[in-house]
Amino acid sequence: MSIERENQIHPIVTDLTSSLFGVTAGILGLESYNGFLLYLVLSVITTIFVYVVKVLPESLSEGRSIGDTQRFFKGALQFWSGGLASGMPGFVLTWTLFYGLVRV
Amino acid sequence: MSDQDNIGEISADHYSYWILIPITIVMVQTGVLRHYASVLLQTAPKKQDAPAMREQRSLGRGVALRSNYHALSKKSFESRRDYLISAYENGDFLKEPEKKGQPPANPMSDPSAMDGMMGMMKNNMAMMIPNTLIMSWINAFFSGYVTMKLPFPLTIKFKSMLQAGVQTKDMDPRWMSSISWYFLCIFGLQFVYVFLLGSDNAASQLNQQMQAQQMPNPMMGGPGQDPDKQFKAEAENLAVVDHYSVLDDVEGRLLASLNKA
Repeated sequence: MSIERENQIHPIVTDLTSSLFGVTAGILGLESYNGFLLYLVLSVITTIFVYVVKVLPESLSEGRSIGDTQRFFKGALQFWSGGLASGMPGFVLTWTLFYGLVRV
Repeated sequence: MSDQDNIGEISADHYSYWILIPITIVMVQTGVLRHYASVLLQTAPKKQDAPAMREQRSLGRGVALRSNYHALSKKSFESRRDYLISAYENGDFLKEPEKKGQPPANPMSDPSAMDGMMGMMKNNMAMMIPNTLIMSWINAFFSGYVTMKLPFPLTIKFKSMLQAGVQTKDMDPRWMSSISWYFLCIFGLQFVYVFLLGSDNAASQLNQQMQAQQMPNPMMGGPGQDPDKQFKAEAENLAVVDHYSVLDDVEGRLLASLNKA
């Protein structure tokens, strides 16, 4: 894996998962802050999964400490918060759709 | 239950599926079409002839020397600088040395510049035409319907945007008309395109706008600017560089560090 490859994969993961989170929030019937909170929590969990499964093993084998994302990413902030904004529109779309389909 | 809610419950019956589903399908297909249209319309960048390329690149050479001079020894830096400054001032790198000092030609008359503008036009067209068509299609078929309720509250200011064409004064702005579903689709369908076309697709117009902003200035060294003036300015910049090398006095620093240890 390289930085460029990772920059391609990470947005795909966030885009697809955030739309699924929208489905979740819509079916649960969450409104206003609860929905956005669910999005925030689930995105953070997804990023932790990506970190544990993909980034951590190769970082450790390179002798980096836990929590260091410099192996694939330019900064820690980019890794942990990079997908939040790009996944947001998809989340709102599917949230609205499924909220409307289930609840109204 | 208040009166406001009642209005909503009545109007948002299951006919809203007949609005949401067509709009969503059309939006997805427009994105896919736009992707393939932009793939087909893409023209390979035209090959430049050697003098034009030399004119562009030699300017970059001066910039590179100016920003990386600390990696060179004083002697080699100065020989490079002397060569570049004299060549810049004589106009050795110019594409058309005989035109030196004349005002630059009108960029509109330059055929190579026209190509670039045509490319931009094509891209803009590929975005504008489907948008206008779909907007007028939605306005013609689905205007005035209330389709859905947003799951989050909005201020009253959004009412004019989300409920365009709905003539109900005191309905909650959370109820949205068909046109606002269209707006949601514009912003939120990126994940569908990623799923269908891969991550570097040209389907989303937002992506294209971002790419257009990130593009470096294409006019650098190109038409519209007098290359002779750019060369003169670069020669001046090079002349005032106060040279130092990272290897200056390196043996003294090495000995000092050894003495300490």
